[in-house]
Amino acid sequence: MDQVAPTSSGFSRSRALTIVPERCSGCRTCEIVCAIHNNKVNNPKKARIRLLSLYPHPVIKMPIVCRQCKVPKCMDSCPSDAIYIEEGVVRIDENKCVGCHECVVSCPFGAIYVHADMIAPFKCELCGGDPQCVKACPKNAILYVPEHTLGQSNRLIETLKYAHLKEMEYFEHGVEKKLSYAEIETGGLREKEKKEKSEGEA
Amino acid sequence: MTDGKKIKGGYLGNILHIDLTDRKFWLEEVGEDFALKYIGGRGFGAKIVMDNLREGLDPLGPENIIVIAPGMLSGLYVPASGKTSFVSISPLTGIYADSNMGGMFGVEIRQAGYDALVIHGRASEFSYIWIDDDEVQIRDASKYKGKMSTATERELKEDLQDEEVKVATIGPAGENLVRFACVNSEWSRNAGRTGMGAILGSKNIKAIAVRGTKDLPAYDLDKLIELSDRAYKTLHDHPMMKFWQEEGLMSVIDYANTLGIIPTRNFSDAHFEDVDRINGEVMTSRYKIGDSACYSCPMACGNICLVKSGKYAGTVTEGPEYESAAMLGSNVGINDFSAVLRGNYLCDELGMDTISSGSLVATVIEGYERGLLSLADVDGIALSWGDDSSIMKLLEKIANRDGIGDVLAEGANGVIEKFPQLKPLISQVKGMDQSAYDGRVGVTMALAYATSDIGAHHARAWTIAKELEVGADWTLEEKVDLVIYHQTVRPLFDMLGVCRLPWIELGFDENTYAEFYAAATGVEVTLDDLLKRSNAIYNLTRAINMRLGVTRSDDHPPERTFNDPIKTGPHAGEHMDRNLFEQLLEIYYQRRGWDKDGRPSDEQLHECGAL
Repeated sequence: MDQVAPTSSGFSRSRALTIVPERCSGCRTCEIVCAIHNNKVNNPKKARIRLLSLYPHPVIKMPIVCRQCKVPKCMDSCPSDAIYIEEGVVRIDENKCVGCHECVVSCPFGAIYVHADMIAPFKCELCGGDPQCVKACPKNAILYVPEHTLGQSNRLIETLKYAHLKEMEYFEHGVEKKLSYAEIETGGLREKEKKEKSEGEA
Repeated sequence: MTDGKKIKGGYLGNILHIDLTDRKFWLEEVGEDFALKYIGGRGFGAKIVMDNLREGLDPLGPENIIVIAPGMLSGLYVPASGKTSFVSISPLTGIYADSNMGGMFGVEIRQAGYDALVIHGRASEFSYIWIDDDEVQIRDASKYKGKMSTATERELKEDLQDEEVKVATIGPAGENLVRFACVNSEWSRNAGRTGMGAILGSKNIKAIAVRGTKDLPAYDLDKLIELSDRAYKTLHDHPMMKFWQEEGLMSVIDYANTLGIIPTRNFSDAHFEDVDRINGEVMTSRYKIGDSACYSCPMACGNICLVKSGKYAGTVTEGPEYESAAMLGSNVGINDFSAVLRGNYLCDELGMDTISSGSLVATVIEGYERGLLSLADVDGIALSWGDDSSIMKLLEKIANRDGIGDVLAEGANGVIEKFPQLKPLISQVKGMDQSAYDGRVGVTMALAYATSDIGAHHARAWTIAKELEVGADWTLEEKVDLVIYHQTVRPLFDMLGVCRLPWIELGFDENTYAEFYAAATGVEVTLDDLLKRSNAIYNLTRAINMRLGVTRSDDHPPERTFNDPIKTGPHAGEHMDRNLFEQLLEIYYQRRGWDKDGRPSDEQLHECGAL
């Protein structure tokens, strides 16, 4: 995947982490890779991306990770101004942090974590633009995509739904194939005209 | 052999003992020699169980202990390192037993700071154990009494107010001391075989909840990372990887049917005519709604399935994998995958082994069909092959010990005692029901079942595929060596706490595990060094079994293997030749260095710590 070099132009964070929970198998490889890369320690409880797994009702496995909000609630709630945005990444200044955990409870996504060994909470800082969890995920459930493509899968689904796809079968070099297409309204106006005309004559 | 070697990492250093009778806890230091010799997981468990052996030990009495031991790589950055062994003396077979589960439970135990838990005695009240890092409590569990496995886990998480707590529970079957009750964790990770759930039930323990937050030590983390990065990449790039994630072990259904080794109608046949209604393709195209994986495993062989219509609509379960699907499908004549899912769901939730359940239910159906059991014997249920309603009823009866279910709950030996006429129909070794690979075709599989230390379980030495694929011209010695190699390498996986599937299914190089071990502990070893340790564990469990009365006559595959020819499929008409088997067993003892009665030499017994 292409990397976007951080710049100071404010365009640095043109990519975003996004999760496809339908693909997640719940293996927690993202957790262990995160803890090892960022903390150099074999402890999934120190990871900045963490899996929440629910069953049997509903069945869902979802890694939860910071979305690098542009107007972060955590930053608003911090009483010691320890949270700041640097080139699009929301960071916690451990020297300013007083360990009150306001940010942890105010994050609407629950994406800031704590551990008894550390005073300051910790969160995803995108591994300097090369998120390790994305590379490690065996199910391709964590994506690092250009920001403008967020929501594109929903747009696609919506489009396909609207198009009332039709199918036809055909043969190419003796191999049976299927073609899906959306039938555009054609000829409708002329047919309507004809119909009205014939009705009028009757 | 362990001289001069020094362990510099990999272990937490403590074994937590919990005495339920006296409500006492203590830590036992993991000694250098102990760690080098027994490595972890199944190895630790076997040694601790050996040291607790005593005259007239009742598996369901307070004098029995259960060891819950993750492997020494469990939780480390190593692919598929989520395995935990449960080790004890089995209430099903009365001999040595272990069963392992994947998932996260063992990782959590290690993160709480323990290389193993040892549970002694019996709680005076119905209880659960709560391990919160250094704090241990025995708590009242009366509100969870009679609850299903998943419901218990969910409520415990809510009551402990932490979704990240890991929980292992027993279901109603374990509470009712069904002799093949399992321990369930995270919905569908089961220590399924040998009745570990009944042991917890006998100790008045409904569940064990663990929260661990500690770092897992590795001597050379950089080396471990380098090795694992490479290992994950190898697995990730494997051409079969996508297929494994998609179908998992369900792909074995077609494979086993093609080979003619799928259990069909209580192993009376080994080829199922309706296999394409219960195979992996049916599952993925009509039932699968998600993937599931154990800790740090890229293979994600678990499949989450939902029944969307019909009388079992709304049944949602993780699984089945091959064994469960065959034992609760073809082996009871069920050709409706939604009913297979329902059976799997019931066994998981009630907390009992799908293999033993499927085997015993099939035995009763065959017994009834052949007129060996009367309608009154089976509580007035007119049993027949594939009649899913009555099969589900039987499963519930077993868990609740109701009527005929009370007989089945006693396991194969109990059934034979009550209905001796069923003896030729039960496919079991040492009291444990045979897994879902017919032993009549591949002689290595028959030998593997016969010599398995826990009874007829496929995962002790799954040799049949290799034998049938490439072993046609092998000498008997080569066949025996295959069994011994599997029986040696597999304990190693359980001692390290890693899954065998990357190795056996994707050909992942087992030498890599010696490198993982070295990176974690700082002790340089070769795979051969480690296999010497795991071979010693096989001698150790043999020694335990001999002290508990096992003799050469118990090293015997199910009678059906010799007496009933397969009816249909590629091996129609075939059965195992008794002389061939006896010959093989002889060679097996020789090559293991055991005497004619299957007793390890004094030197071996000393070396493994049995003497």
